[in-house]
Amino acid sequence: MTTAKAPAEGRPKKKKLTSGDIVVFVILTFVMLIIFFPFYNAVVISFETSRAYSLYPVSLIPMEWSLANYDYLIQNGQIWTGYQNTIFITVIGTIYGMTISVMTAYAFSRPAFPGKKLLFALMMFTMLFSGGMVPTYLQLKTLGLVNSRFAIILLVGVSTYNIIIFKSGFEQTPPSLSEAAKIDGANELVIFFHIMLPLQSALLATFTLFTAVTYWNEWFWSMLMINSSNKMTLQTVLRSIVAEASADADIASGEAGLDVFSQGVKMASVFMVMAPIMCFYPFLQKYFVKGVLVGSVKM
Amino acid sequence: MKHRMNILGRRMWDARYIYLLLVPGILYFAIFHYGPMGGLILAFKKFNARLGILGSPWVGLDNFRRIFSTPAALLAIRNTFVINLSRLVFEFPAPIILALLINEMRGRHVKRIYQTVYTFPHFLSWVVVSTILTNFLSNGGAVNTIIVQLGGERTNFLANEAIFRPLLYATHIWKEMGWNAIIYMAAIAGIDPSLYEAATVDGANRMQQAWHISLPGILPTIVVLFILTVGRLMNAGFEQIFYLQNAAVKQVSDILDTYIYDITFKATPSYGFSTAVGMFKSVVNLVLLLIANKLVKTVSGTGLMN
Repeated sequence: MTTAKAPAEGRPKKKKLTSGDIVVFVILTFVMLIIFFPFYNAVVISFETSRAYSLYPVSLIPMEWSLANYDYLIQNGQIWTGYQNTIFITVIGTIYGMTISVMTAYAFSRPAFPGKKLLFALMMFTMLFSGGMVPTYLQLKTLGLVNSRFAIILLVGVSTYNIIIFKSGFEQTPPSLSEAAKIDGANELVIFFHIMLPLQSALLATFTLFTAVTYWNEWFWSMLMINSSNKMTLQTVLRSIVAEASADADIASGEAGLDVFSQGVKMASVFMVMAPIMCFYPFLQKYFVKGVLVGSVKM
Repeated sequence: MKHRMNILGRRMWDARYIYLLLVPGILYFAIFHYGPMGGLILAFKKFNARLGILGSPWVGLDNFRRIFSTPAALLAIRNTFVINLSRLVFEFPAPIILALLINEMRGRHVKRIYQTVYTFPHFLSWVVVSTILTNFLSNGGAVNTIIVQLGGERTNFLANEAIFRPLLYATHIWKEMGWNAIIYMAAIAGIDPSLYEAATVDGANRMQQAWHISLPGILPTIVVLFILTVGRLMNAGFEQIFYLQNAAVKQVSDILDTYIYDITFKATPSYGFSTAVGMFKSVVNLVLLLIANKLVKTVSGTGLMN
């Protein structure tokens, strides 16, 4: 699409700070705060007591520190179930999705073989047209995947877009490498595992992250397919906590003597759901950025 | 003839490992894409669970006729177009402007920290984001508290028909702008620096440089992404609307996907009708994509899909 190079400064640097610099800085700082503040506000609320929250809905630090909302969530236990199921789905799903995508991409990167054009066209067509929500649901039902975590694992992780990017990656490997291996008597599988995969490991690592995030954030099919509470994923658990928080919080503060309140419980559960991404994201950011750039070059 | 079959057989045998590698992919696409596509015949049937998809009786185009005589379906179609066209107008320019601004910013470390913040919301699901935003914009939330402090009046943003759509655009920009800016920033970084040097010598200020060098420099990228966005027009925003929506704003925010969800999974389902609505959406989407691809071909010489 474009010729993207490593992000470099677009022009030589000037030393003096001009009024233009200040205007740009002020605008960008303002935008940054608008994006940052709702998250910050949510985290602060989750550590408040209900009294402090009703007095000061907006504060820069909790006016009265409290872990009651977290205590309540931990005692409630739903969130751990969610973690277990989401981790299970993410790990198995990422392995499944990447394996299928990489194998398919490699096969399509090989020189012509009978049926290649037709199969590739059939795959591309799925990017243009789909059966949609209802037929897909009925198909999962027919396969007996109602209330199974494998409905999500099997359906979500393979992406035609990723396959095309991997395919271009494999195609850009110098053909001399695989030819040399072929002369040495290696078959396609040996070339695939011993030459092509290691050469593309950086690309594959990046897209492994993308696939993992897709599974982590998946919500629609979990909501539709999973109905027993011990199989619920983190996203659906969060949704049900949000839906039931006000009633539950009243009960908890009455019975268990915990100082919880519905907004606090909601924000605490939000924090617990996004915490893993918050912790890893700053370190992984550059790989994600690299991934999107690679994608835009290879499409 | 026999000879040719032998050659074909020979070539297939040579490619046996390739076919082996393709087996899982073929199964995946057959089961999870072509299976449901086959299920689209339901759109022309009256579904009967006892008889199954194949055994259910045909009803011709009845389900499609029903779409155009159901006010709620027509409203959803209208909303889908209005909301997504507005998205194009309001949301599409945001990351371009952000990229141009970031490009003008001094200080590499600050830049990097800011970008981490800008791109972070992209990696959260709408379940998380909508929970935070619902609280943030609620009657007792931060925004209203600040408005009251400043002497204004409380507004229930999420339950206000006039505000809800702009809110959809604003929150979508809020979540995705930083991430979408990355491609534009890369495109800006690819512009020949000597152009800027020459412009500086000629006395062009930074606004003029951004307008006359950076923007034209990334125009090809803008065009391609614009057309890609047009191709996705029918699909945008289901998750977001699904979670931010409430009864008070249903009239202005019900789109085809939320409508299909409601009639299929909340009421007594009429799978044939639901499938027909979904198929209508897929077909319109396909037409938009083909038009978009045609446009890309005319503009850049190569199509997005060959």
